[in-house]
Amino acid sequence: MLIRLIVPGERARVEDLNTSLEAVLKRHGIDPEVRGDVRLIVEELASNAIVHGAVDGHHVGQHELSVNIAIDGDLLTLDFRDEGAPFDPLSTPPPDLEADIMDRPIGGLGLYLIRRIAEETHYRRVDDANLLRVILRIPQTETL
Amino acid sequence: MSLSIEVLPAAGGSQRVVLSGRLDTHTYEDLDEKLAPLLTRNLQSLVLDLAALEYISSAGIRSIFKARKALGAHGGKVLVVNPQAQIQKVFDVVKAVPMSEIFSSTAEADAYLDAMQRKVLQGDEED
Repeated sequence: MLIRLIVPGERARVEDLNTSLEAVLKRHGIDPEVRGDVRLIVEELASNAIVHGAVDGHHVGQHELSVNIAIDGDLLTLDFRDEGAPFDPLSTPPPDLEADIMDRPIGGLGLYLIRRIAEETHYRRVDDANLLRVILRIPQTETL
Repeated sequence: MSLSIEVLPAAGGSQRVVLSGRLDTHTYEDLDEKLAPLLTRNLQSLVLDLAALEYISSAGIRSIFKARKALGAHGGKVLVVNPQAQIQKVFDVVKAVPMSEIFSSTAEADAYLDAMQRKVLQGDEED
């Protein structure tokens, strides 16, 4: 199933996107923990795409961010596609988590969270679009 | 769902704030705004009661970092009480709050604050 929103400039719509995703996941019996992970990944990616468009120096104009969601066995796959400037969210350097709080920057954790929470992540740039695949493992409830 | 923020009356250099709902990109500014006037030199500990908080993202972590830095500048601390599973997971991944500053009940946090207070008083007597 495919859900779209337009970025940048649609911060409020990120919540709409998450609400739609949550309804679909609930219908498929996906547990709250995985739903929380999906919410986090969508929020972090969408926020990043929105902020990038506005702050990055080069304005890329409005573009579409779409998410395709697929559930296959115990894997949940999120395919994000956007036509913004080339940006590999997996290439950002990891934050220094051991530094003293007074020396740590207050941001820069969102994309790191995605990489740590996902089972697998893949980025490709294809035909003027950023394609990011994020795979989550769905914990299986024990059957007696 | 939004965030609800309840600021309880301050007592003895400690301030408790109860959060419920979601602390994310849509709500973190509300928290920053509510916390800003509290984060003075007189505040030694900010206790965030997260029992009813359902979700946090990096935007929410930023707000907690801001508070930790503001208090850390004069030796104060942010203590966290009863974080739910999703929140504990995010805290763990980004090391948002040291383990020693996370408590499973307000009673535990109070006991820790009492012990800190006693240490300060003892220190004063020794001077």
